[in-house]
Amino acid sequence: MEGVGQVAEEFSFDKEKEIARSFSKRFQWEMMLIGVGQATIWLCLWPLVIYGYISLFVGSLIAIVCACFAYLPSHEAQHGNFSRGNPKRRWIDSFVSHYTLITLMFPHDLMRCTHMKHHAYTNNPEKDPDYDTASSKSIWGVIVATQAGITKYQSIAETYKDDKAFMKSFHKGLNVALMYRAILLILVVMFPLEALLLWWLPSKVGVIYLSAFFSWYPHYQMDTGRYKDTKFWSHWMPRYLNHSMQLHFVHHLHPGIGHYDEPKAIEALKPFLVARKVPGAEEIPERVEYNPLIKL
Amino acid sequence: MEKLNTIISNHISNWNMVWFGLIFWGSVFNAIAANYETTLSPILWYACGLLLGTVAKIRGTWLWKA
Repeated sequence: MEGVGQVAEEFSFDKEKEIARSFSKRFQWEMMLIGVGQATIWLCLWPLVIYGYISLFVGSLIAIVCACFAYLPSHEAQHGNFSRGNPKRRWIDSFVSHYTLITLMFPHDLMRCTHMKHHAYTNNPEKDPDYDTASSKSIWGVIVATQAGITKYQSIAETYKDDKAFMKSFHKGLNVALMYRAILLILVVMFPLEALLLWWLPSKVGVIYLSAFFSWYPHYQMDTGRYKDTKFWSHWMPRYLNHSMQLHFVHHLHPGIGHYDEPKAIEALKPFLVARKVPGAEEIPERVEYNPLIKL
Repeated sequence: MEKLNTIISNHISNWNMVWFGLIFWGSVFNAIAANYETTLSPILWYACGLLLGTVAKIRGTWLWKA
């Protein structure tokens, strides 16, 4: 593994892994609550708007917020952070991910297989499925990249056409994507403005938000290889508004660390990250603040 | 069965933008027009959607090229 054996013994990879493992055990109940909660709220918006209990404008604003919260619970599930290796709990990963992604019209299997390739080949121009957004020159470039739609996935499928496991998940996901498209087209005939403002528009805003904060900021202008492909960065927004993506680099090092345990893990791992020269590691504060859920 | 799947899959990947323009944008344009109580035929709004989808198919993108 690139860069693993180049530091003093006290910062060895084994010790780093041991610390990381201690933050990779807790059940991610916050994420489950967010995922199931936002999707349930989003589903409730439909009858509330159609029967006139709330206006379409208010419904649309709530749906946009839901869409911005939709991906991260699925992301935890894609890494198996709900089941934690227990086969009896794998249904939780699957259920949470499928359910939370309804708001974004994303298929779980497609997201999972492409995300695993993103981890394996981060910032590799040919193999990283997120490279189009990560390499954008500006936020505008990210917005343009997000509307590539099916073309992007056709080129990903071409890259991994010989990877049977990948293609199996990919096709499974594609079928779900087609189902979403069919449901949207049926809904738009019956409830045109509701389909536009409760589903289509929020999903677009959600995808732009995700691409900017999950793919672009953490990986922009970064190299390839462990300790080099993701950076610690700062932003004017409180962390809970951008899903703590400033801390995304620790996720790339140890994906098993639960999202809401990342601040504590980073505090513990800071000396290791500085020793490894992780970009931005020296700027990590001694105490990572502004995350209300960590105190619950 | 496999042949049918291939035909459907090819049709969707080639014509999805046109169908989406006709059905999705056509319905949305028609609903907006109905909101403003225009007297123009719904066919016109669905034709606008179809045109939008056709242009998107020719250009290969709905808005800007990456």
